[in-house]
Amino acid sequence: MGKKMMWEEMKKTFPNEWLRIANYELDASGEMKSGEVLYHSSSKEEVYSQPLTGKSEAFWYTGESTFSGLRSHATNDCI
Amino acid sequence: MKAHFRGLEVMQQTTAFDTSKHHINMTAIVLDGKRVPQVFRAILDTGAPRSEFSDRFLKTINLLPTDQLPDVKIPKGLQTKKYGTAMLPHIECLGQTLKNVSGVISRFDESWGVDALIGLDFFRMFRVTVDYRQGLIITESFNSKRKAQN
Repeated sequence: MGKKMMWEEMKKTFPNEWLRIANYELDASGEMKSGEVLYHSSSKEEVYSQPLTGKSEAFWYTGESTFSGLRSHATNDCI
Repeated sequence: MKAHFRGLEVMQQTTAFDTSKHHINMTAIVLDGKRVPQVFRAILDTGAPRSEFSDRFLKTINLLPTDQLPDVKIPKGLQTKKYGTAMLPHIECLGQTLKNVSGVISRFDESWGVDALIGLDFFRMFRVTVDYRQGLIITESFNSKRKAQN
């Protein structure tokens, strides 16, 4: 298991990557504070295909979301 | 926080969110196939009639109803493809706990960076107030137990 890292450090070390984090700490808003990175990769498949540890984990992405709301659901000619 | 409205017991939960983000991002918890809590990120999406969950995530936590991920292609111009439903026995989101939720299984564009969209089905179950000025979401559930009249 990795060493304990703060969220800012995780973002800097693993930019735009998917993470699975053990022994995580969340703040009062549910934002990631710190934890131990179990798996990391820019490929979601690579990270998510690893078996569960049997303990609670946090599934997180360090990049910015490209989610674009309604446009994500509707085809161009429906808008 | 417990309050009363028209004699009904109201359970109120307040969750802070980051107003600098383009969308309302939140953290949610789901119990996996062995009832271990797994924590994931979601976006509150008022454009989605039903909450959607990433098939890849459901597969990892053993809640996908099929053994294998099917060969699903996201149509050109879209970022998601819905293709089934899954029963989620326990979810915690915005301070509320939901049991036996039927969620839509979707293939998400990876660049979304989340594993769920929380849609209008959630809004139907609670009274939801989004306070952008304060960066707070207040959810209220109504218990049918009426306050004892004096």
